Amino acid sequence: MEADKKTVVPGRLAVDICGLRLKNPVMTASGTFGYGEEYAPFCDLNRLGAIVVKGLSLEPRPGNPPPRIMETRCGMLNAVGLQNIGVRAFIAEKLPFLRQFNVTVIANIFGETIDEYRRVTEVLTRAAGVHAIEVNISCPNVKKGGVAFGAYPDAAAAVTKMVRGETDLPVIVKLTPNVTDITEIARAVEAAGADAVSLINTLTGMSVDIERRRPHLANVTGGLSGPAVKPVALRMVWQVVRSVKIPVIGIGGISTAADALEFLITGASAVQIGTANFIHPAATMEIIDGIEDYMIRHRIGCMKDLIGSLQTEGC
Amino acid sequence: MAEKPSIAIGQVMENRGVAPGHFLLTIRLPLSFATPIPGQFVMIRDPDRGEPLLPRPISVYGFQREKGHAILNLLCRIVGRGTSLFSRLNRGSTLTVLGPLGRGFTIDSDVRQLLLVAGGVGAAPLAFLLQEGSLLKPDSGKRQVTAYLGAGTAELLTGLNRFQDFCDLRTATDDGSCGYHGTVTEFLAVDLGEYDAKSTLILACGPGAMIRSLALLLRDTRIRCQVSLEERMACGVGACLGCAVAIKEGEGRTGYRRVCHDGPVFDIGEILWDPPV
Repeated sequence: MEADKKTVVPGRLAVDICGLRLKNPVMTASGTFGYGEEYAPFCDLNRLGAIVVKGLSLEPRPGNPPPRIMETRCGMLNAVGLQNIGVRAFIAEKLPFLRQFNVTVIANIFGETIDEYRRVTEVLTRAAGVHAIEVNISCPNVKKGGVAFGAYPDAAAAVTKMVRGETDLPVIVKLTPNVTDITEIARAVEAAGADAVSLINTLTGMSVDIERRRPHLANVTGGLSGPAVKPVALRMVWQVVRSVKIPVIGIGGISTAADALEFLITGASAVQIGTANFIHPAATMEIIDGIEDYMIRHRIGCMKDLIGSLQTEGC
Repeated sequence: MAEKPSIAIGQVMENRGVAPGHFLLTIRLPLSFATPIPGQFVMIRDPDRGEPLLPRPISVYGFQREKGHAILNLLCRIVGRGTSLFSRLNRGSTLTVLGPLGRGFTIDSDVRQLLLVAGGVGAAPLAFLLQEGSLLKPDSGKRQVTAYLGAGTAELLTGLNRFQDFCDLRTATDDGSCGYHGTVTEFLAVDLGEYDAKSTLILACGPGAMIRSLALLLRDTRIRCQVSLEERMACGVGACLGCAVAIKEGEGRTGYRRVCHDGPVFDIGEILWDPPV
């Protein structure tokens, strides 16, 4: 094995995705890694494939009243409601910190109207240090916008087109699993100019306190994430990679390198780590190391040879 | 100034019940683990279990350094699945310990009278404050420390020795089995007039109802008060925004702060109560 280690080519884990060259396919999922600085004590941010920051809206949003989270078996529900400092404060207060690192920064954006998506994109496109935009059309926890756009192909396409027209940065559209056919939405945003899709956002769920006979979350329902959703996410990634030509970024319950590898083998060009950051703040570092170990062990020279290598003959 | 938090593997040296539903964990940590400030907390998780998924936030009850390692004491109450499992950990078990986290108590130099007010297991961070001692050292002159500890019954009053040894201790129990018969805030209300509002600081930790009644008691006084809040958390480091507490912002607007990162210690006057106090 020692000999193998020495044959590791620099950039063995590198992936090219919608015009971005990432050091490795491991990104952080929006809303689970703050603005990067929260995890700087535990992770070398330079090692990440990309940091996807907490969803940004044009103006600051206070978010939903508490309680906002509830742990469930093998997962958690959240109804944070896109609390964020607003895009201008992000650029002034958070982006300078991220610029110190040699890491790809993807800004996740949210709007209540199509025009708000455009205006957030406009502001971010002018900012130094933002390398791509991830369009959130899939938040289940806000009354206006969010999933209202993500659940309908026409609306999803309209938001995508508006953002696409406003920026030269790569545009990634984040999809909701709370639809009848996710491939329909994926194809609609591809046709509207998306450079990639990321999926899945959380699955809508609910939990009840039987002693008080009240929902555990003040918002009543929330988004389910964590290991519980992984098989659902993987199935949807499988469906979408066969339906679109643009890269697919896999998200949903990825906690270990083995989980990440399942998505990559299935055809995801990259993955995002979400809830696992909460459980173990250095999860991303261990996942990157684990993918590299796997590549060495299986003598795979580059990610291209791994991504989408799933064998289904005879299935 | 708080030192940098880290992720450490700890080893359970002792785990014993101290009162019904309460246990005291003694965990050995590497020396590199930063010294907590009173009021700070750690997130602990059993690395050998996938469930419960999330680590649990526990206030620091004690911390010392000795030959080659650090010793962390956590006084816990069993509230759910996570703490129930921790209560059954054997000596030698490993735990992942993330911390120290959050913003602890601060004591201004002009404070002459310190009142520690705790309900139940809320005594833990205040007991650590007494043990640690650095915050108590007056910058000039003498500083009085009085503790008001409340619990349901006498046997649920925890950490008493620590308080008896270091300060003037006054207890209250709901059933009258020890000290004042009633809640700790009712007891404090009886004495409150004796303290000089300008030079007194209250540091409090306890259940939501206790903090709320304290807010009501202090509403029309000018006594400074910091409270350590408890909220469900996922990450403990300020990322998940799960542990939001409503606070007053300008122009009557509501804002949310993170208990884990902006707290857990807040000025009681900042907190927005629903319904209002």
